[in-house]
Amino acid sequence: MAERQKIDARGAFCPGPLMELIAALKLASVGDEIDLWSSDKGSAADIPAWCAKVGHAVVESTEHDGYWSVVVRKAK
Amino acid sequence: MSTKPLYVMLCSGEHEKIQLAAMVASVAAVSDRPVEVFVTMNALLPFERGKTPQERYQGGHFHDLFVTKNVPDAIELFSQGKMLGDMKMWACSLVLDLKHWECDTHLSEGLFDGPMGLAKFLADAESGELITI
Repeated sequence: MAERQKIDARGAFCPGPLMELIAALKLASVGDEIDLWSSDKGSAADIPAWCAKVGHAVVESTEHDGYWSVVVRKAK
Repeated sequence: MSTKPLYVMLCSGEHEKIQLAAMVASVAAVSDRPVEVFVTMNALLPFERGKTPQERYQGGHFHDLFVTKNVPDAIELFSQGKMLGDMKMWACSLVLDLKHWECDTHLSEGLFDGPMGLAKFLADAESGELITI
């Protein structure tokens, strides 16, 4: 059964949040989702670009007060 | 984004440039792009084994910010790039000879794939894109 894991990377600077996401995806199963919280301003654009490059899916991207929540589903 | 291998020649000992090289190399490596990093001249000095992050680097305005904020350490970024992607790191054989250093004993543990000469690196780099920092 697919799971959703939250990673709170707020306060980490580029490319820390992306690297935390990638490390979590390595350990996840196909279909699992990672909800990455990042206050790094580049993450909202960087993470979808990275997902498009390597073939994972961005499920949702939401701006909150001072941070972004980007949910990524492991697709392969 | 191109899938041609990326070759990075890192020669500056300035913290800001080493940080940029670590960011470029690690992000490219985790984006399914093979990366090879050739570390030479003053850039090799911060990789001396046993140095703390506070001792390793010299730099300017952003160096001060890197060491006081929660910015990923450059050597940690290189390690993550190797762990999560296809990245190799080579230490310049000239610098090793001049410093009487060995990769296995004098450089950051587990980071370097070995010594390399410039001619071999340049020959390999013909298959991809080479940037110098």
